[in-house]
Amino acid sequence: MTPAEIAARLRTRFGDGAVVAVQDALLDPTLELAPERLHEAARFLRDEDDLRFDFLRSLAGVDRKEALEVVYHLLSLPHRHGVTLRVRTPRDKPSVASVADVWPTAEWHERETFDLFGIDFAGHPDLRRLFLPDDWVGYPLRKDYAPPAEYHGIVTTREGSLPVTRAQVAGRPQVQVAMHGAKAEELPGYMRVNMGPHHPATHGVINFLLETDGEIIRKASPDVGYLHRGIEKLAESNLYIGTMPYTDRVDYLGAIFANHSWALAVEKLLGLAVPPRGEYCRAIASELNRIASHLIATGALAMDVGAFTPFTHWIREREKINDIMERICGARLTYNYLRFGGVARDIKPDVVDTIRLWLDHFEPILREFNRLISDNEIFVRRLADVAPISAADAVGFGLVGPNLRASGVHWDLRRDAPYSIYPELEFDVIVGKGFRGVVGDCYDRYWCRVLEMVESMKILRQACDKLPEGEFWAKPKVVKPAANEFYAAVESARGELGAYVIADGTDKPYRAKFRTGSYTGLSIIQHLSPGLMLADLVALIGSLDVVAPEVDR
Amino acid sequence: MNVVQHAADRFMRWAFSVDPATWPHAWIVYAGFILLAAVLAVGFVALFAGPVTWLERRVAGRIMSRIGPNRVGPQGVLQWLADGIKCFLKEDLVPEGADRTLFRIAPYFVFGGMFGAFVVLPFGVHLVAADLNVGLLYILAVTSLVVVGLLMAGWASNSKWALFGGVRSAAQLVSYEIPSAFSLMAVILFAGTMSMQGVVAAQGGWPWDWFLFRNPFLFAAFFLYFTAAIAEGNRTPFDLPEAESELVAGYNVEYSGMRYLFFMFAEWANLWIMSAVATVCFLGGWQIPGVSPAEVAAAEGLAFVGWQALSFLVFAAKASALILVVVQLRWTVPRLRIDQLMFTCWKYLVPLSFVCILGVLALMVVVREGGTVDMILRAALLIFGFWAVVEYARRIRRTYLADKALYERMEGKAMWYPPYRMP
Repeated sequence: MTPAEIAARLRTRFGDGAVVAVQDALLDPTLELAPERLHEAARFLRDEDDLRFDFLRSLAGVDRKEALEVVYHLLSLPHRHGVTLRVRTPRDKPSVASVADVWPTAEWHERETFDLFGIDFAGHPDLRRLFLPDDWVGYPLRKDYAPPAEYHGIVTTREGSLPVTRAQVAGRPQVQVAMHGAKAEELPGYMRVNMGPHHPATHGVINFLLETDGEIIRKASPDVGYLHRGIEKLAESNLYIGTMPYTDRVDYLGAIFANHSWALAVEKLLGLAVPPRGEYCRAIASELNRIASHLIATGALAMDVGAFTPFTHWIREREKINDIMERICGARLTYNYLRFGGVARDIKPDVVDTIRLWLDHFEPILREFNRLISDNEIFVRRLADVAPISAADAVGFGLVGPNLRASGVHWDLRRDAPYSIYPELEFDVIVGKGFRGVVGDCYDRYWCRVLEMVESMKILRQACDKLPEGEFWAKPKVVKPAANEFYAAVESARGELGAYVIADGTDKPYRAKFRTGSYTGLSIIQHLSPGLMLADLVALIGSLDVVAPEVDR
Repeated sequence: MNVVQHAADRFMRWAFSVDPATWPHAWIVYAGFILLAAVLAVGFVALFAGPVTWLERRVAGRIMSRIGPNRVGPQGVLQWLADGIKCFLKEDLVPEGADRTLFRIAPYFVFGGMFGAFVVLPFGVHLVAADLNVGLLYILAVTSLVVVGLLMAGWASNSKWALFGGVRSAAQLVSYEIPSAFSLMAVILFAGTMSMQGVVAAQGGWPWDWFLFRNPFLFAAFFLYFTAAIAEGNRTPFDLPEAESELVAGYNVEYSGMRYLFFMFAEWANLWIMSAVATVCFLGGWQIPGVSPAEVAAAEGLAFVGWQALSFLVFAAKASALILVVVQLRWTVPRLRIDQLMFTCWKYLVPLSFVCILGVLALMVVVREGGTVDMILRAALLIFGFWAVVEYARRIRRTYLADKALYERMEGKAMWYPPYRMP
């Protein structure tokens, strides 16, 4: 359904005033809604049979100087169509109706927007800052934001020197930062435990505030933001290409994917085409990276449930991928490989041979791995039937990638919203079927990842065979897209990794927003955890494959 | 015969030419010999636990496709000394708000409980500190002291994670003592004695004389005991009290330096205890194949020392083989969840151990020892056991060869170094 038709439906239902404008000129045609109609319109869009926008891909705040905006990227999984909504709200008293009851995933997105833009979401169940401390002053992503000179005695400006000597350190006031979870109501009679920020099971710096009844968890509230590096803010002050290395840091286990979504968005804004060899190089790097990331995910899950050995074996195999990636692009972890219009370096024929050799090597290793851990009775019992996520919940909470597919939802951007060369390649989309327990349990999430590695190997073999000759980089003369905006998404190892870029005609983006898989994956834990045991929570976090920097960005 | 007393008597006759029974100062010599025996046993624990940590880490390294400690001494064999010295030099930290007294004495309970078991463990024909007539019962009782220590450590640390570990270990150890005690009860019934030496003497040197292959229910009891003992020793898959991915380190999370080392000591000493008890009760103990105990006891002089040493080697070899199995198990399987752990204990192991006791009793009544049925049962068990060992080795070899071929194809170089060049 086109945006004009959707606008017509909304107008007939809610009157002409409901849709303020239809912005067809944009690359993402956008409906601007009247703020007072937003909530009903959202519900309408979700519930109507021919619309069924059940999936909120991304929710972004934008500072338009004269006013603030909230942009919603919606997707309909049954009908495979999308629409972008926009709501404007005055700068001095920004308030928008919350859609957290329509799409549960909006709860965290709105908290983030509140945190970074100061937009109040009326009707939000738990509107607190998400990344920054509760007592932080100001909203960093607003254009007029000036960072405070100091925070509890910590000098924040570059000119201020850090305390070096003991006397200086001792003279500093004691820093006491209020934690986000501290405001959550305390359940009486339970033990409150901090799981994190430094805990092996949280896969990075995340804190879970647990209310436990012995081993049983009554409540787990994630407290994120320890790794917030402000990549979106950094992007606003950098050239388009200068942001590429930062995108590596969005998700260090799958650095290529953030590269890719950033490149896709900017190329679309520039109207740039990528030569076929460049696309193949991208796909090869992506799939290698996907396998590497899934190796970590499955290995770390095995380690989380107590089996150390699989992890080291997977690290060994990942090392081989790192070696290959090093030969492809010179880096082992943060690749900075993609460029607008292609890739930075060609994949040489001898590297292709090594990839083929490694694929032949990896296949039996994967079988051995399954013998070692996947079919292990204890392992299966630890994961099967644990924390199942229904398809409706998965869609509602905006789970993406293997987490979404494990719940039985067919949605893979490589097939359903094709980009790069994926339409030319043959591969299956792995969907959870309740392999050992119910659909959408931890084992399904684990097993989907294992099977996806097999699919990635298929893709790699085909891409290696089909790799065309020719240019790998159509280098643009100047990267200065005209004022426009676009939301580009790729299927990363952790699901949809979207880059929403607003260009204003200069050589720097006006606003950049990354939508990541771990972020929504983490937001569901709060709702799944009551009743789980401590060890189950560890398995759940591991099975959702949460990577802390990807949550915080 | 009390070995320590016997040795002291001989010493007094030789050194002072007095009759120990009438000499008024004999108690001083006795006390000295008891102390000597204790020092020897502690020394053994230390000298055993240390290298076994190295062995475990090297074996784990092999299993996990990495190298393991190889820097200190040849093949890293002195790594445990370096670790020990490091732990000695570390600050003995007591966390703020901890119960200082309990926190400090907790490791000694754990260590004491484990060490107490060494009193009755027979290492050889006469190599036992005290052959108590309730030896097995004593071991079960004294190792229970460990629970007190773990719970104390968990509680006194003033850390919720340590408390989790302490409570988990209390629940786990108390539960798993039941199946382990009952499977040993089957042995006691079969041997007709609780004395460790008596149990060994009831068996023979050859595998078909071991309790393991004497009775199908004892065969089952061996596996029950082994499972329960692994759980009592907090080893994977039952290492919940120190689950490193959930509780980080469990009850010992707040410990540092020497006190931490005591917990580790106890863990590895326990490895020896459980293997030694299994060896004594099921695998013929120190019995040398083809040599009767009477022959050994009758030997004098150098032959006596030689037999002692040989019996110790036999015993150590059997126990070490079991230890290697435990180590391999630890690095292969994941960890159970706490409810699954309890489920396994109370719904499987405890009833099965009862069945074992009843089965052993029934067979003792029904089947005449040395009769045809008995012989058939023993032969069948022996063949099964032999097949299991061969199959185990064959599988390891097959996996190893497959991996070797893969590695050599991918890397283009040989995988295995000659042992003296092992990394």
